[in-house]
Amino acid sequence: MEFESKDEMELNGEFEKELRQALERRPAPPRLKRRVLEEAARRRALGRRTQVLWWQRIAAAVVLAAMAGGGVLWRQADERRKGELARQQVMTALRITGRALHEVNARLTARERGE
Amino acid sequence: MMRRSTILWLLGAVAFAGSALAQSSGQIPGLPLPPPVEKELASRASNVTEVTLGKNMLAFASKFMNGKDEDEAATKKLIDGLDGVYVREYEFDKEDQYSPEEVEKLRQYFETAEWTPIVRERERHGGETTDVMMKVVNGETKGLFVLSAEPRELTIVLILGPIHPEDIGKLSHIGALSALNGLDVDTKVKVKTKIKDKKGGSE
Repeated sequence: MEFESKDEMELNGEFEKELRQALERRPAPPRLKRRVLEEAARRRALGRRTQVLWWQRIAAAVVLAAMAGGGVLWRQADERRKGELARQQVMTALRITGRALHEVNARLTARERGE
Repeated sequence: MMRRSTILWLLGAVAFAGSALAQSSGQIPGLPLPPPVEKELASRASNVTEVTLGKNMLAFASKFMNGKDEDEAATKKLIDGLDGVYVREYEFDKEDQYSPEEVEKLRQYFETAEWTPIVRERERHGGETTDVMMKVVNGETKGLFVLSAEPRELTIVLILGPIHPEDIGKLSHIGALSALNGLDVDTKVKVKTKIKDKKGGSE
């Protein structure tokens, strides 16, 4: 180590100089703090916006699902109502038919008895 | 080839237009158009019951019938094969609210060559008339028509489709439908024609 060459000594000196310069305390660039804080605030706002967007999407999905479910239920109820109405109409038609045929039968029977 | 497709398109368009026209005119497929005299009768009647059900509506109604209930199961079986049901019942406050000509118009409107009269009764003085006809195709009953005219009531029943009296007989508690079993529905044309005179004597 004692027999370092002149070139090596120069290189070391150069290196030390560069190292000293690199480690030298320098003032931060102007407005850096503000820029960092602004960036942090921007990222927080972006995060919040993304979160809000997700909630909005979930809410929209829930509303759509509720609407679709409501539509299906309404359709089923409407179909049941119409079906019940149709059933009642069938029964009314058969009742009238039955009554008419009964009267025909009664008249014929009365005629036959009268003859 | 081109000409054939054009003809097919035209036929399709005509069929579509025909069905659209039929629907707009209130006609239900499988059932005849309401007779023109119907509106006049309805306007004079104090109580009108109108039931018009096509094949689709009957099938729809059938879905809502409880198969476990004996009555409904029998009704379901009866209506399942039907093509249509057309029933009108007009009740009048007073007598002479309709003329014998109107009744005759109604009868003629529904009576076609396929219909076989089963009962035809005319009361000379009371004005009561009864017509029961069956539509018979290849020996099978494909329809029932009843026209019953009483002084204050006029009833038209038209049921199209295969009708089995034994099925109707099962519906004994629905307005005495079993009465149909009592009617002579032998398809070998057995017309009962009675002309009853209230003052006595019959022809």
